[in-house]
Amino acid sequence: MVDKVLLKEVLDAATASGGDFADIFVEEKSTTWIGCEAGKIERVQSGVDAGAGIRVISGDATAYAYTNDLSSQGLREAAKVVSHAAIGGKSGVNLDLTGVKPLVDFNFLERPEHVSTEKKADLVQTADRAARAAGGDQIKQVIVSYGDAVQKVIIANSDGNYVEDERIRTRFMVQAVAASGAVIQTGYEAVGSLCGFELFNNNPPEQVAEEAARRAVQMLSASPAPAGRMPVVMAGEAGGTMVHEACGHGLEADLVQKGLSVYGGKKGQIVASNEVTVIDDATLPDRYGSYRFDDEGVPAREVVLIKEGELVNFMYDRLSASKEKMVSNGHGRRESYQHKPIPRMGNTYIAPGKIDPEKIIRETREGLLVKKMGGGQVNTTTGDFVFDVAEGYLIKDGEIGPLVRGATLTGNGPQVLSIVEMVGSDLGFTIGTCGKEGQGVPVSDAQPTMAIKEMIVGGTSQAAVSPNGKIRRL
Amino acid sequence: MANRDPLRDIAEIAIMRSRNFGADMAEAYISSNKELSIDVREGRVETLKLAEERGLSVRVMLEGKTGFAFSTDLSPAGAEEVARHALFNCKSTAVDPYNRLPSPGGLYPGLELYDPDIHKATVEEKIALAKAMEESARAFDPRVKVIESSTYQDGEILVTLVNSLGIDSTYRGAYCGIYLALAAGEGEESQTGFAMDFGLKYKPLNPAMTGQEAARRAVRMLGAGPVKTRRTDIVLEPYVATGFLGIIGPALTGEAVQKGRSLFAGKTGARVASEKITIIDDGAKADGIASAPFDGEGVATGRTVLVRDGVLQGFLHNTYTAAREGVQSTGNGVRGTFKSAPEVGFTNLYIKAGDKHPQEIIKEMESGLYITEVMGMHTANPISGDFSVGVAGLLIEKGELSRPVRGAAMGGNILDFLKKIDGVGNDLLFYGGKGSPTLRITGMTISGQ
Repeated sequence: MVDKVLLKEVLDAATASGGDFADIFVEEKSTTWIGCEAGKIERVQSGVDAGAGIRVISGDATAYAYTNDLSSQGLREAAKVVSHAAIGGKSGVNLDLTGVKPLVDFNFLERPEHVSTEKKADLVQTADRAARAAGGDQIKQVIVSYGDAVQKVIIANSDGNYVEDERIRTRFMVQAVAASGAVIQTGYEAVGSLCGFELFNNNPPEQVAEEAARRAVQMLSASPAPAGRMPVVMAGEAGGTMVHEACGHGLEADLVQKGLSVYGGKKGQIVASNEVTVIDDATLPDRYGSYRFDDEGVPAREVVLIKEGELVNFMYDRLSASKEKMVSNGHGRRESYQHKPIPRMGNTYIAPGKIDPEKIIRETREGLLVKKMGGGQVNTTTGDFVFDVAEGYLIKDGEIGPLVRGATLTGNGPQVLSIVEMVGSDLGFTIGTCGKEGQGVPVSDAQPTMAIKEMIVGGTSQAAVSPNGKIRRL
Repeated sequence: MANRDPLRDIAEIAIMRSRNFGADMAEAYISSNKELSIDVREGRVETLKLAEERGLSVRVMLEGKTGFAFSTDLSPAGAEEVARHALFNCKSTAVDPYNRLPSPGGLYPGLELYDPDIHKATVEEKIALAKAMEESARAFDPRVKVIESSTYQDGEILVTLVNSLGIDSTYRGAYCGIYLALAAGEGEESQTGFAMDFGLKYKPLNPAMTGQEAARRAVRMLGAGPVKTRRTDIVLEPYVATGFLGIIGPALTGEAVQKGRSLFAGKTGARVASEKITIIDDGAKADGIASAPFDGEGVATGRTVLVRDGVLQGFLHNTYTAAREGVQSTGNGVRGTFKSAPEVGFTNLYIKAGDKHPQEIIKEMESGLYITEVMGMHTANPISGDFSVGVAGLLIEKGELSRPVRGAAMGGNILDFLKKIDGVGNDLLFYGGKGSPTLRITGMTISGQ
């Protein structure tokens, strides 16, 4: 895309009038998207988006410019723009551009560009038929979408680091709409990973479709969820929306430093029950939020955030780390070359415990079992969060009872995590696109089956406002 | 020709190549944007961002099938490559007799979309606006503790659209705005507030008022307590009401109707809302931030009344959904960027202002809840219309706003909600492309403690 000689020239030009740090992020992203609705392949779209973002940091200030023009002239002009905004002396610019070693490697088995569009379209149609077959007459609509992205990046900076990387992500989503009389319900299932077409080896499209159709049809006969405070059991397969919202965003260092996190100033303190260990690990194989290097060229690693209830670390990018005279722990991510990196999650999860998940349900006298979570959001300043329950059941005397619909769970992050009473031995991941400051990045999250003493169903205990982090399920 | 536009040349090459590759019809869309954003915190520039983006997309039709591709490579070779991919993508899509491109002929509205003052103002002046906004918030109340971001932003766009049926159009537009998010604190408690001021003109931007507004929103919530479960009348601030309009919006598109996911399907001519409610989409609105002379397919934009005095009038259409319905496109073939094909979407979508001052609306009430914040709006189900959201705001007692409350939830169905609106303010406010005045809704259940 861009050779090292030019990268050096650009970094040199960017720091011409000062700055503590400069970097360039060059990206070429090829995407394919197929959409099917009403049994027809309606859209097949593909494209290439290439560009570069150049950044200069001086003190607390960041100057950022991006362009699609990857010619020598285009990049020099962008560098000149940011150099004007840089202030103060130049410190320690090193333009050696030496390769950085990753801590993990990922292999892509079936590259999307080697799979024909027809084959991808067939897969989509297979899912459409499977959903209709599984749900019968009650299925009124099926929406299937397939997407893949091959993202090639080059990252070079004034610390002398140079990284070339490639990320291939594939995702697949089925939404089924079922109706009976005046009742309409939707069911939804998505899979995705840092991988190519091999995604479907372990996730047959039929299975994804059947799950979505089953959920839509079952929800037709569900009764409205009760409202009020009650014990809640989160099933392992429910996904990790809660951990993402209840503490993930609040542990991003930029929010902490700006005084916008309820976890600010609490490092070393107990912020959760001792059953709770929270980890973000972008090095996990075959997860949607995985990466070899973050978008600042820092190798991904496992970061323990909360250890047995104690807050031990935050997620840092280079800028937030430098403010605390530390080094980044590999969480500087960006949506594309059009965005500056900020601290973001990768694969966030609550570590599994030792208890048999079935035992957790058996020991619950009454409450709500959350079998699948939907989207959610959080106000990190207060820690108040809310998320939907896509599939929930009432528990009575340790038995799983009737299906309920329309449940929304609300709570306060530190408060809810402090009343986690049992943690199961299982772990189930869900994928999503996490939004923050207008940037969407792929993430996954998970938690084991957990018993929570009580949460508010259908309401908000301390209604949170102005969310600054949210997740949409794909 | 003396002044050949290089972007138009590329668009023409893309059309020509598409035709050479066998397309029955082809369309090329090129956008070229520049954006500036400045974030200020504590009187200093935290981020200054300058952006330039250009891209081309090609949409083709062949024997009733359609394909789409895009690229940021605007060379002649790049244009050819995009045309090739679009044709290739065409092969896997289903035949649909309504796939077509619009013909020229519509009269484009005359709009002033480019205020040269935006370009003329220096970066230093724009930084000063963001600083002034931050200062005005801090000066409003000492309890304003944290400025999350005080932002100035502007952008300009040049759109070129050419199709093989003869549409050959271009327009230039610009916008600017300021945005402030902050937190106020007292003791352990912290409350957030924000405000924004976006428009097509530079001079009217008002940092002092925007700063005070954000501060006022945060400070008034300090000391918020719980509320008891009650059935009560509620008043929605324009920002909150606009959020609810966002749930209804998708159901007002021809696409949602044709796909069986509109809760308004089959209700044209029927009453769907209180007679006080009129909902309009107007792509040719003077000063509208989403205004443009033509949509993403080259069709003239215009004013579409969707709901008049509570009665559903019709739906928004692009060329495809209009053909399928046997009507004319309403000029709502909207493209987010060159990377997306024109889908049915909104331009400036709003609830028409009523004639009551919002204070009058509150004054008439013995008790109620004035809702200033809603949480979880994105979890509302646009197909069924069911919503369950967290709410916060101020209690209304004897015609006045009293203490702040949080920790309440409100659920319901949007259709029922629309019918129970009994007051519409004269204070229509836009938040981006959507807007609403203050609304009062009777008999809602608020669940609290």
